[in-house]
Amino acid sequence: MQIRHGLLSCDSHGQLHKDAFTRRLSKEKWGDRIPQVVEVREEKFAHPVHRWMVNGKVTGDSVCNCPAAMEGGVERGYYPQRWEEVPLKVYDPLERAKALDEDGVDGEVLYPNNPVSGFTFLQADAEFELACVQAYNDGIAEWREISERYIPLAIIPYLSDIKVIVGEVERTVKKGHRGIIMLAEPATTKKGLRHFNDSFWEPLWAACQDLGVPIHWHGSAGLASHLALPRWEGFSRNQFHTVSTSRLCATPAQLIPNLIFSGLLDKYPRLDWVCAETGLGWVNYVLEACDHEWERRHLWTAGILTRPSELFRRQIYVDFWYEKAGMELRYEIGIDKIMWESDYPHIASTYPKSWKFVEWSLEGLAVGEDERKKLLYGNALRLYRLS
Amino acid sequence: MASEIGFISADDHVQEHPEVWTQRLSKTRWGDRIPQLKRLENGTEGWVVDGRQLPLRGVARAGALMPDRAREPLHWEEIPQVVYDAKERLRAMDADGVDYSVLYPSVAGVAGETFGRLTDPEFELACVQAYNDWLIEEWAKVSPRFIPQCIVPLFPIEAAVAEIKRAVAKGHRGVIYPAVPMELRDVPHINEPAYDPIWATCQDLEVPLCFHAGASEAIQIQPYAGYSEEIASAFRAIAQPVSTVSVVVNLLVSRVLMRYPRLKVVFGESALGWGAYLLEYTDFQAKGDRLHLEGYELTPSQLFRRQCYLVGWYDRASLQTRHFIGSENILWATQFPLTTSTWPNSQDYIARSFAEVPENERQKILWKNAAQLYKIQ
Repeated sequence: MQIRHGLLSCDSHGQLHKDAFTRRLSKEKWGDRIPQVVEVREEKFAHPVHRWMVNGKVTGDSVCNCPAAMEGGVERGYYPQRWEEVPLKVYDPLERAKALDEDGVDGEVLYPNNPVSGFTFLQADAEFELACVQAYNDGIAEWREISERYIPLAIIPYLSDIKVIVGEVERTVKKGHRGIIMLAEPATTKKGLRHFNDSFWEPLWAACQDLGVPIHWHGSAGLASHLALPRWEGFSRNQFHTVSTSRLCATPAQLIPNLIFSGLLDKYPRLDWVCAETGLGWVNYVLEACDHEWERRHLWTAGILTRPSELFRRQIYVDFWYEKAGMELRYEIGIDKIMWESDYPHIASTYPKSWKFVEWSLEGLAVGEDERKKLLYGNALRLYRLS
Repeated sequence: MASEIGFISADDHVQEHPEVWTQRLSKTRWGDRIPQLKRLENGTEGWVVDGRQLPLRGVARAGALMPDRAREPLHWEEIPQVVYDAKERLRAMDADGVDYSVLYPSVAGVAGETFGRLTDPEFELACVQAYNDWLIEEWAKVSPRFIPQCIVPLFPIEAAVAEIKRAVAKGHRGVIYPAVPMELRDVPHINEPAYDPIWATCQDLEVPLCFHAGASEAIQIQPYAGYSEEIASAFRAIAQPVSTVSVVVNLLVSRVLMRYPRLKVVFGESALGWGAYLLEYTDFQAKGDRLHLEGYELTPSQLFRRQCYLVGWYDRASLQTRHFIGSENILWATQFPLTTSTWPNSQDYIARSFAEVPENERQKILWKNAAQLYKIQ
């Protein structure tokens, strides 16, 4: 892919058009279960608002999570309540490309946006889930047909047989997807799904390694409401937001040790893993804690043959967007494993001042030209085989 | 302040011996409910409190002293004396270059959670008082090099405050309380003003409040059921310190530190690795969420630096970003006698960790901060 600006976002959110699912799924077969935008009345709004409805259930408190793209930006923090408010630069790939240029960003790795999260389609039967998953994957694949600046990631159908899951990965890779998004702990998110460490998933790991597509965990990857203190009613909405988001690094900081101890990294040494929207500065905890316990307990005698920090620097990628502490430790974390993200168009996004954030993160550090290239787009080009 | 101190280990664990409670609690009043070591059906031994076996992996937390560090002792006779005998412990401290040792419990729970789970407040208080008395009688009186910290009955608050006052009068220098008490039994959320008398008492008596990692299962990912005991135990040892993240963030936003500006809070067994990132990120989020408009005069990291402490023991890379945490806000430890402990090579670990740390900061982290906090002269 062509690099003109020198910056590639490895975590952005692609919004499908409101008709993306109704156009692709049979109305005759699925009726009102098809994901679609509907008009509803909500008490706090004087006028009817738009919401996504999936499987007949209305979801969310806006129609599109895109405050960074709205008038006033993230400072205003406004979430559109009607589809006509959603700017084209969120869901129209051509208009969005112009916004990328204004922000000095060459391209985006695309995670989903409304109504799709890690578990949106898990709520019903396997056939319905598969139909929705394929519709989403087909819809976002079209972005890459329009411009190679978009690097779509596929979602997978958890309720299906492992053969069907692998089949969907193979299908999407042919269409141009460059990775899959997974729940960190399927068995915790939905009862009945297999634990991450269960051998059920082995064909998936093998297929992803063979196809050369990394597996992505976004944020808490389905565990956002876990590992928290019970919610305190005394917090204001903003206080609660600070508390519930600031603590999120504790999730990947426990997931990665489990990945390391699962033995999968040595079993599938060419399979890469990506933690998106988690920052960098917790990684040194994982590396030092795992190495320390590995040494203290002689875990090579318990099946963990490779030093944990070596495994990490061989197969695990992390993203940054604003931080300084983690950047100081970039060599400890792994200079070849750090990528940049804008999180466009979410509230944490650096848009439209992405370069300001980049320079702020690197300011005061002796980051050479070669290092900058790696961090800002080079590592991503290699991982996603874009060059 | 004595200038000859080299190292105060701010987080070690005593091992309660089988008679701690049987000697101190009335057999006629409490009968078989008294905490005691019992022979189990499988031939090993286990601690039983109020008729229930404690979820410990053996009879002690003493992995560092066992022939195989990954295995806890399953019979009392297997435990080396140095684990439970204060005089022997002093020799181990000498050999490892430790001048003072700040003590946390084992059987009573790393944060006193064993008795916090009891639903009979009178029995809870009796168990707590026995621990606190024993620690003074058999440890603090043996040597001033042991810094005893009391455990506390969770509720009612009047009982907690009374016990803190009683224990501190007896010589306890810190107050250990579980960070998520509402997970142990039906008590108010930790942020509720109901707890204010505890915070006020700690502030007034100038004793630090200690939230030790590992007393809440809900904030830790549990090890995969298919793991071997070695791997499961290693995983727990890694999930436990970083679970402190949720506790720290909650405390910084809860306003407790604003209400009690002279209260000091120690996060035992926290490790340092996530600290710099967490403080930087929490400031970033608090600013984004405009908390300065909600009466916060200080940023979360400023509150932290005024009142909080993390504890490191093996951290090396993470010491490089200590300026985000604050050199005045870091304590060091050996974690004796846990499996994770740096014993008996603590000086080697220190040399490795502090290789690039200037002498004045090294002294603060290794002993001056702890000496000030625990008033060690």
